[in-house]
Amino acid sequence: MNSAESTGSPDPVRVYLALLEAALEQQDAAVRHDALLDAEAHLRSAIATGLTAEQAIADFGTPAEIASAYSATPAGAFGRRAEGALGADQEQTTAADMWAPAAGGRLSRIPIVGIWFQPRAWTALLYFGLVGFPLATAYFVWAVTVGSLAIGTLPLILGLPLVVFLLGSARALSLFEGKVVETFLGVRMPRRTQPVEGGADSYFWRRIWCWLRDVRSWMSLGYLVGNFPVAVVNFVLIFTLTVLGVVLMLAPILDAVGVPIGVVHDADGPLQIWFMNRRVEPDADGHLWLPSGTAIPSLLIGFALMTAVLWISRGLGWIYGHVVQAIQVARPRPLPRGSGGAAQAAAA
Amino acid sequence: MQYCALHNTKVSTPLGDKLERDLSVGTAWLVVLAAIARAEEPIHGYEIARQLAAEAPEGLSFKQGTLYPMLRTMESERLVRSTLVPSREGPARKCFTLTPEGRRVLGAWTETWRRTGRWVNRFLGGIDELR
Repeated sequence: MNSAESTGSPDPVRVYLALLEAALEQQDAAVRHDALLDAEAHLRSAIATGLTAEQAIADFGTPAEIASAYSATPAGAFGRRAEGALGADQEQTTAADMWAPAAGGRLSRIPIVGIWFQPRAWTALLYFGLVGFPLATAYFVWAVTVGSLAIGTLPLILGLPLVVFLLGSARALSLFEGKVVETFLGVRMPRRTQPVEGGADSYFWRRIWCWLRDVRSWMSLGYLVGNFPVAVVNFVLIFTLTVLGVVLMLAPILDAVGVPIGVVHDADGPLQIWFMNRRVEPDADGHLWLPSGTAIPSLLIGFALMTAVLWISRGLGWIYGHVVQAIQVARPRPLPRGSGGAAQAAAA
Repeated sequence: MQYCALHNTKVSTPLGDKLERDLSVGTAWLVVLAAIARAEEPIHGYEIARQLAAEAPEGLSFKQGTLYPMLRTMESERLVRSTLVPSREGPARKCFTLTPEGRRVLGAWTETWRRTGRWVNRFLGGIDELR
């Protein structure tokens, strides 16, 4: 607790941060989160050198000036590295452009099928169909294993530090997952986590207590556990549909170039294979070929299915990315009671 | 482009403001990179801001908070890298060091700055005699 709060007067830094947060309202939540942490770290450092809070705030700049500086910064500066010239604009997803064509050239702007040319849809497909599921499984196993150990040892003195260790690891894993999500889904994530208030207290048990009451850490742990069933559903949905779409598209192509779609070694039994409501008969060598008249419908259905999968991946990616972002960014700081006065004057 | 925070508090005309802003964009990047380069250890945002403010020419004001978007841009362009250092006063502070790419860019910009400076000074020397 800082001196201002201990004397009952509002902490000017807190007041300033609330004003800055309001000024940064138009900014992405992750940018806002990082900007507030930067501002707080800066102001606390300045005050620690002997400056008054008002002087430190005046030197730092008004919320409007800071917001203006962030607005003038290229969007890409807060996401992954630009692949080109310094400061080149990059894709960023917002509520308004959720369904708008992303980077990928003119072809990506073609209605509906333009999704095939949008890199973000492909990276989302990769995330849900390949990367997300094993990661979610690993997080879940970690959380359940350490969690069980912590609960089991709670009657002993060792239990509480283990819970804190679990919470700390949950925050670190959530931050890592945020980087992965940012890379694959293009939703900006904060660069660091909100510190645990009082987490650096010199008294061991007080530090433990601060960690235990930190909502953000529990949210991170909840994410690691709750993300698992979501990842399973996403994986099953995307993987199954993708395989089906690819098979439907590939079968006519293989058939056309003389590659059988299957081989039957022992056709004496009551084996019946059907493809698009037509029976597939093996030839003398046991090779299976597409029944006549099914090649083009198969290609078209496969293409439509893959197009749908890409759209689903992109939409899911947007929703999923913003849920992860919401867990990671700082919650609005409540304006201290009776705030105003000197800090607002300095900020103005 | 990154808006920079160096303002001349003595001259303020629309054209003067534009000139000042155009000049300050590149200048601020150069100065901030140089401040990070000359620090012997990783340097945090407040310390960079303090040094810039302490050594700023008379009449130039510097809004320290505008440094952070610039540092973030530099980081995303991989000119600098940051590490988090716990702080007793508040949130962990980001401390910055130059990357090899940052050193290369700083070297190139420094050379450009010196060449440009010599060129501009040659012309300004000419008008000094006219004033």
